[in-house]
Amino acid sequence: MPTINLRGAQKNYGVNSANAVSNLDLEIRDGEFMCLLGPSGCGKTTTLRMIAGLENLSGGEIRIGDRVVDSIFDGVFVPPEKREMGLVFQSYALWPHLTIERNTDFGLRLRKLPKAEREARVEKVMQALDIAKYRDRYPSQLSGGQQQRVALARMLAVNPGVLLLDEPLSNLDARLRLEMRAELKRLHKEFKTTIVFVTHDQWEAMTLATTIAVMNEGTLQQMGTPNDIYDRPANRFVAEFVGSPPINILSFDKKDTSDVAKEAETYLSSRYPSLRGIGSVGIRPEALSYATKKEDVPQGSFSGKMVVTGILPTGGSWILELRSDSHTLFLTTHALPRLELGEKVRFFAPPDALHVFDKDGQRITEADKLLRSAKLN
Amino acid sequence: MAFLSEPTKAAPAVGDGASAVPSSWQVWRYRLKVASREPTTLIGVLTALLFTYLIVVPIISIVLDAVRVQFGHERRLGKDFGDLTLYYLDRTFTSPVSVDLFWRPLFNTLSVAVGAILLSLLIGTTLAWLISRTDMFGRRWFATALIVPYMLPAWTFALAWTTLFKNRTVGGQPGWFEALGWTPPDWVAYGRFPITIILALHYTPFVILLFGSALRRFDSQLEDSARILGAKRYQVAMQIILPLMRPALMSSMILIFAKCLGEFGVPYVLGLPVKFEVLSTSLFRSIASRQTGVAGVVAASIMLIGIITLMIDARLVREARRFVTIGSKGSMNRQSRLGKLRLPATGFAATIFMLSVGLPLLTLFLSTIMKLPAQFTLDNFTLDYWIGRDLHTVALQTGVLLSPDLWAAAKNTLMIVGLASVASGILGLLVGYVVIRTPVRALSVYLRQVTFLPYLVPGIAFAAAYLSLFAVPRGPMPALYGTVTILVLALMADQMPYASRAGISAMTQLGKDPEEAAQIAGAGWFRRMMSIVIPIQKGSLVTGVLLPFISGIKGLSLFVILAVPSTDVLTTYSLRLVDYHYTQAANAVVLIIAAIAYLGTLAAQKLTKTNLAEGLGS
Ligand SMILES: Nc1ncnc2c1ncn2[C@@H]1O[C@H](COP(=O)(O)OP(=O)(O)O)[C@@H](O)[C@H]1O
Ligand SMILES: [Mg+2]
Repeated sequence: MPTINLRGAQKNYGVNSANAVSNLDLEIRDGEFMCLLGPSGCGKTTTLRMIAGLENLSGGEIRIGDRVVDSIFDGVFVPPEKREMGLVFQSYALWPHLTIERNTDFGLRLRKLPKAEREARVEKVMQALDIAKYRDRYPSQLSGGQQQRVALARMLAVNPGVLLLDEPLSNLDARLRLEMRAELKRLHKEFKTTIVFVTHDQWEAMTLATTIAVMNEGTLQQMGTPNDIYDRPANRFVAEFVGSPPINILSFDKKDTSDVAKEAETYLSSRYPSLRGIGSVGIRPEALSYATKKEDVPQGSFSGKMVVTGILPTGGSWILELRSDSHTLFLTTHALPRLELGEKVRFFAPPDALHVFDKDGQRITEADKLLRSAKLN
Repeated sequence: MAFLSEPTKAAPAVGDGASAVPSSWQVWRYRLKVASREPTTLIGVLTALLFTYLIVVPIISIVLDAVRVQFGHERRLGKDFGDLTLYYLDRTFTSPVSVDLFWRPLFNTLSVAVGAILLSLLIGTTLAWLISRTDMFGRRWFATALIVPYMLPAWTFALAWTTLFKNRTVGGQPGWFEALGWTPPDWVAYGRFPITIILALHYTPFVILLFGSALRRFDSQLEDSARILGAKRYQVAMQIILPLMRPALMSSMILIFAKCLGEFGVPYVLGLPVKFEVLSTSLFRSIASRQTGVAGVVAASIMLIGIITLMIDARLVREARRFVTIGSKGSMNRQSRLGKLRLPATGFAATIFMLSVGLPLLTLFLSTIMKLPAQFTLDNFTLDYWIGRDLHTVALQTGVLLSPDLWAAAKNTLMIVGLASVASGILGLLVGYVVIRTPVRALSVYLRQVTFLPYLVPGIAFAAAYLSLFAVPRGPMPALYGTVTILVLALMADQMPYASRAGISAMTQLGKDPEEAAQIAGAGWFRRMMSIVIPIQKGSLVTGVLLPFISGIKGLSLFVILAVPSTDVLTTYSLRLVDYHYTQAANAVVLIIAAIAYLGTLAAQKLTKTNLAEGLGS
């Protein structure tokens, strides 16, 4: 399927309500596995439904390739049934009065395919999803995971140009979810469809996506590969939303006279005098290390003194909670920490592990170059 | 900190022209495009127009009748036909005849209603408690059996009563007691006393259902907590249980009141002989004597009282929602042990059952197979009134089952009620569909409200409104009085509240996902209706047809005003037989109606696995 393009897409459910989605620009290329990631209520479902045509726009336009399918300006609206897409609902929405087989071949019957071809295709997807043995059952006789497969099969059968999935795994238990993730990845390869996948689960997005679009409060925060999102979050929201335990944020203001703040200020202003307007610095817990002696802290790293206030084992690794004045840091370590509560330690991190944000929370990209070159010196 | 200069922002690239604000013309064009793509909104507009014509216009028409000079009064009032006048208001509310026309009927209505409410509350709450919270014998059986009176037409009981208590005030066959040598005084045989008793027995099921379900949802832990804190039994009852039960009690009181307001059959059968009039019979008399203006005033008054009552009820229901959290489903519902009172309690329930179901039906049945009342000798029994031939009576010379009139009436009933209920069932589902699906909110709200309107208007007033609108030709519409059409239309409109509510709740439950899934799969509107919506909603469509059918079969007030001999239905036919004093035949017809209504209700319940409490009011 050609590239799907949302330009300035906007959705407003009521005259007086805030925009569910505002001014969204999104490009979904052929063969991509794109995840829409964001907290609940941020407009992911709305975006998906706008792409499918189930929700009308309040502004902007949607194109598929060169063809405008939805636009207020041009007065164009192509209805969902003409968009040749597949959508798997969060609730699965299987038709309760039809058997699994009839659920699966519904779309093919509409397309008036010759019987033999229809049956062959239904057989193929039912085999691929391992639901052939339930063909004569009704949806209510299947478990959640099986229903989920039928919902997928029903859409795959018509071979849609793009498959839209709205949190399809959220109703499954943990093990099944893992299995279905692998399954989805396999299906993506096998059927070569473009997939747009909505989730609020960052791990799901990280493991599945080729591209992630992070949304918050109806706006797009960042779009990029999973590594981009994780390593170079465009703003504090993305930085804090992705990663567990969450990224440590040291935010500064003029009144902050704590030791950590002062050390950070000295560190940054003395080495990088050209950097201006810093509002906060983020460091991922796994980028942090600690040392009990000052000599063990490598030269040139960002470091500070703190007190151990918590040691939390998480099975194979440990999370340390460090405090000093009003600041708290979390640190992940894979070696058994031989520390006591209340013990003073120095944390440290290499300069290129710092994420520097301005006062509005946007990433200062210029800092990246400076910090990275610092490491080489 | 000291980093003070402006940061460089990575502002997201904004799409070109697309992010501009669309002009309102563009917005309208787009909306029109979206709305016109599917027939939903068009269907909505059409049904809205239809119901405006069938529901709103008749009501406006009768209200206008009340304040405009009617045909034949032009000379007396010195005005032209159709001019505004206060004459009818004045006549109904303040003139010397106003006492007969309005005030006494109003007082009678109120007193009968209050009496019926008190009596049914007394019996109903006791029974509800016995059924749901005690170890009385046969609780489950009683739970169904005690609801039966509500499945039968109310005037079944009125006929049973006259069969027993009729005295020599009225002609025709005497009642059983008269025949046995005891003349019941008039106050026992007719008027306020029997009407009150019968309405109370008929509406007791309301209380049992509403109060009973509130009791069942009541969490025993609430009682226990109070007991643990040291409250005595009566304190618990007064301070915990009663306040929480109040919404259910108020609600059943108000429903009963609204029903009594529109009740016609019972006061007609039992009130007429002693000129005991209630509002509905007074309205009937005004219509029968062609006093259209006065009829308009009385009908509008009944509507107004009905609307006020149900608005109070709606308010109570809203308040009751605050209590909803009290009913946790898993809660223990502890039963009181009745001990020594177990047998007497069972006896009480059995007595009420006998009085409200057994005795009336048995009486009616026996009366149809006995030549002379209350003479229990073998030669007095006969099946002639059912299947006899060459009876030496003036009009009805065969048993009722052989009379062509019965079959004509039955055919009419099936056709009229059947057509109306099929139509209202389908329209109800359509209305439900549009209300839930249309993107035009105003349309959704209007449809919901307009189809609910007849609920606020007692049937007899609604029928009067139809008469007022359709008795004469208006515009392209020919005069419909005396046709089957007017009956079907009125009945359909009258049933719309139940049909549309059923449709809306069915569509709400279905949600939009299954339909949207079909849409994504490539199915257009018509295809989705045929292969998804209607097949899934088959069950509720059947209910949506069946429930109006049952209530139409036993309905009387609409027909009594709108039917003429050629459009006789079973109910009006039996009423006519009453008027001619063919007691046995009348009772036989009523028994047939009762049987149909009862079996129909059972079937509906079986089919839909719902309980009656939800279909209350139909
Ligand atoms: N049908 C609707 N009517 C009104 N508001 C809605 C509707 N659907 C979603 N919203 C609102 O739009 C916002 C985005 O919702 P949604 O797209 O469902 O978020 P997500 O899928 O990311 O959880 C939320 O604030 C939600 O309350
Ligand atoms: Mg969602």
